[in-house]
Amino acid sequence: MSVPGRQLWVIPGGCIPLASTGREPEFTSRDEVALLNPGETDASLEITIYYTTSEPVGPYALTIKARRMRQVRFNDLIFPEALPLGVEYAALIRSDVPIVVQFTRYDTGRTNRALMGAVAYSIV
Amino acid sequence: MSMGDREPQSDSWRASEHDTREGYQNWSGSLRFRPSRAVAPRSEEELAQIIGDASRQGRTVRPVGSMHSSTGIIATDDILVSLDHFRGVYSVDQKAHRAEVGAGTVLRDLGKRLSEIGLAMPNYGDVATQTIAGAIGTGTHGSGIDLYNLSMTLVGGSMVTGSGAIKTFSLESDPDLVRAMRVSFGTLGILTRIELQLEPDYQLHRQEWCTTFDAVFPRLCEFAAENRNFDLYWYPRSDEVKLRCLNPPGEGPDYSSFAWLAESRTGAPHEVIPKHSDLPDKFDEMEYAFAADAARDCLLAIRDRIRSRWRRTVCWRVLYRFVKADDTWLSEAHARETATISLHQNSSLPFRDYFADIEPIFQSHGGRPHWAKIHTMTGAQLGARYPMWRRFGQLRRELDPDGVLLTPYLRGLLAPQMEAAR
Repeated sequence: MSVPGRQLWVIPGGCIPLASTGREPEFTSRDEVALLNPGETDASLEITIYYTTSEPVGPYALTIKARRMRQVRFNDLIFPEALPLGVEYAALIRSDVPIVVQFTRYDTGRTNRALMGAVAYSIV
Repeated sequence: MSMGDREPQSDSWRASEHDTREGYQNWSGSLRFRPSRAVAPRSEEELAQIIGDASRQGRTVRPVGSMHSSTGIIATDDILVSLDHFRGVYSVDQKAHRAEVGAGTVLRDLGKRLSEIGLAMPNYGDVATQTIAGAIGTGTHGSGIDLYNLSMTLVGGSMVTGSGAIKTFSLESDPDLVRAMRVSFGTLGILTRIELQLEPDYQLHRQEWCTTFDAVFPRLCEFAAENRNFDLYWYPRSDEVKLRCLNPPGEGPDYSSFAWLAESRTGAPHEVIPKHSDLPDKFDEMEYAFAADAARDCLLAIRDRIRSRWRRTVCWRVLYRFVKADDTWLSEAHARETATISLHQNSSLPFRDYFADIEPIFQSHGGRPHWAKIHTMTGAQLGARYPMWRRFGQLRRELDPDGVLLTPYLRGLLAPQMEAAR
């Protein structure tokens, strides 16, 4: 049976909300990716971040063990450098094996909390 | 006495392999300078000749280790001295748990070599890429309420003074000199051989526990007391914390009722205490040391400030550590049980505004800055924080009467001290 997934994914509409309300870390506003590696080989990922007015930054290196999923907050990425909050960005995710990527934005900046989730756009 | 290479060489940065025409920069890249000449003497006598000549010619000489310092203590425009040829373990006293080592020995190489002969350093900092002389001279420390900074391992050795004299010393015969030498950042003499007080080799179990700030802060002292090594990372963008605990195998407390275990491994101290020796990306750092009670208040104050003003750009954790009080004249932990707070920021991002905003909070809590990390305190301000400041100045005048061992930054920092000592 073939393994579902793709090796190149794009999240073009990133922007980590600046404000949060409520207890942390549960209610921290965030941009987050859920990464699924359904295959039998550990996945090595490289994320490149694109901005509107400055050069791309990356790669941010991540691994996902075989037959495991992992959730990663863009808020917490630090090497090679932290993403600014409240700034538009796009993310290009390359993996050496097929994976599935879901993107979620959780915005608690106002009393009425907002949640948005979507499968990222797969290219290859 | 010849001090040729005696041990396998580390792949760490070496001043002697660098072209002075290119200029030098520290590890993070935040400090740049261009010495007139870089030299790597092969013997103590050769170093004495270099310093003696410099003294007669009105020049200056600055030793450099692994370039991890971020203040101007290493930035010279004149002669830069590398201790690349002073590396390795020279002699061992197994009964006293002491070893004489080359001043330019890199900590991670030292740890391996000591382990082979059944000895170990009592502690390390978070990285082990510094030279032993650099770590001692700047008051480098790890974390634990019963653990001194690394400088306290210095119990004797040999150095070349600012007048070019070779001087041997020991804690037993020259206790005040050792108390001054331990944290003197190369301004009393250039160390060549260092006698270390060590411990029989041992194993440590490293555990890293993740939880929330509120679950930990009220019990901070309790946690510090029940772990051999203990420090705390606070993450500004989530208000989470990581507790980093090291203990003899089988003796570590279980925090699973309120935290999840992120890491668990056992090894020799040089293998499990330094965690970030090989970080691929650079960062800059500001650290201040406080009396332990003041540090708790300070942590709360800067947490509020960072959350309200700096979360947009600052993701890097804040590091909270403990250091046992000592009697070293210019030690961050001089005469008070100490906790330190360190700010970090990616070197590729603006960090000076962030540090400048937090530094007054550090200073208002009685903080003493780390000698090798970014700060803006003047000599006059520092003199008020160190009871032995003037005494240090007197000793400096004796050992380096012409200021041969001063960089431009150090001259500005220590000039008031020198005047006060007259």
